[in-house]
Amino acid sequence: MGLRYVQPAPGFKEYLPKDYVDLIDFGPFGKEVDVQHLGDFKEILEEHPMCAGCWMAYFVRVFYASLPNPEDTIVLGTAGCARLALSQAAVPFIYGNYGDTNAVASGLTRALKIRFPDKTKDVVVVAGDGGLMDIGFSMTMHSWFRKEKFTTIMVDNEVYGNTGGQESGMSPKGVQLKMAPKGKKFEKIPATELAKQAGCVYVVKLSPTSVKRTAKVIRRAILAARHFGPTFIHAYTSCNIEYSIPTEEVLKDAREREKKDFGFEEYMTDEVREFFEEIEKKKEVKK
Amino acid sequence: MYYVARVDEEKCATYKCKQCTLFCPEANTLMFDEERNTAYVNEPRCKGCALCVYVCSDLLKRDCIEMVMVTAEE
Repeated sequence: MGLRYVQPAPGFKEYLPKDYVDLIDFGPFGKEVDVQHLGDFKEILEEHPMCAGCWMAYFVRVFYASLPNPEDTIVLGTAGCARLALSQAAVPFIYGNYGDTNAVASGLTRALKIRFPDKTKDVVVVAGDGGLMDIGFSMTMHSWFRKEKFTTIMVDNEVYGNTGGQESGMSPKGVQLKMAPKGKKFEKIPATELAKQAGCVYVVKLSPTSVKRTAKVIRRAILAARHFGPTFIHAYTSCNIEYSIPTEEVLKDAREREKKDFGFEEYMTDEVREFFEEIEKKKEVKK
Repeated sequence: MYYVARVDEEKCATYKCKQCTLFCPEANTLMFDEERNTAYVNEPRCKGCALCVYVCSDLLKRDCIEMVMVTAEE
């Protein structure tokens, strides 16, 4: 998109919808916003039909507020809950067929490099456990093997929430779901380990309980992907419907899972570590 | 009939915490007014999950937000 295309022509502003004008005047385009000031500025995410109290909706909100360069970012998603909110933001969104997001993102990243050689364009895939680790597994893995320079974020709700509650490869062992009444017989797929082995240069596993840390991780993943190679974030985003979590307790659940099996893990290659140390020392990270 | 969060603004203004706004799952819904130093709810956007009540009452013990029933006329 680019900042030039976001700003309306003089004289035209008064005819634009209020939400758009607010976005220009009070939104994050072309300036630095601190994610800790959520609630003070107009967010690029708009109203969406995700469930009340959805932790994935919360993660999508923090994700959009954390983008280092929202006016030059393209987000890809696939069938699943997250796309319901991802598509309702002032950032171009591409809806892939189920499972092919990382293949589409590979082509898009290369095309943007050719079309805009002098500009920084960020490509981010945000898809669920089904889209990335089950149905899209091969395309996800192969994009990492090819060292494609974009960020992949898995919003893991541990179930096929949209279609009635089938178990996914990321459902925990033993869990009983509406469409998996016998209980799951296998462990969760070790997604972050696979990412490291497949060549991701920056890999994080987290439960989004701290907005500051979540934002930092998202920014780091995007910045590392610009220069070095594929990056991957595995975020726990519970499904309060299929796992019967009362809406007011989704944060409590996220904190409990953080203590249990979603403790914060961050892996990066040596060159990425040096890169972060350098830019964070110089405070060049655009917030 | 709608179930939404409502902030006791007078009570909220006595604190400088701004924590509830960081945990609302909805964008542009639970906002913060810098001048009055209080959080406020954009009620038509609130889905009534009460997560902010958990943050304000259970975690911070400040009890500034409550869930209320509203009607379209209100």
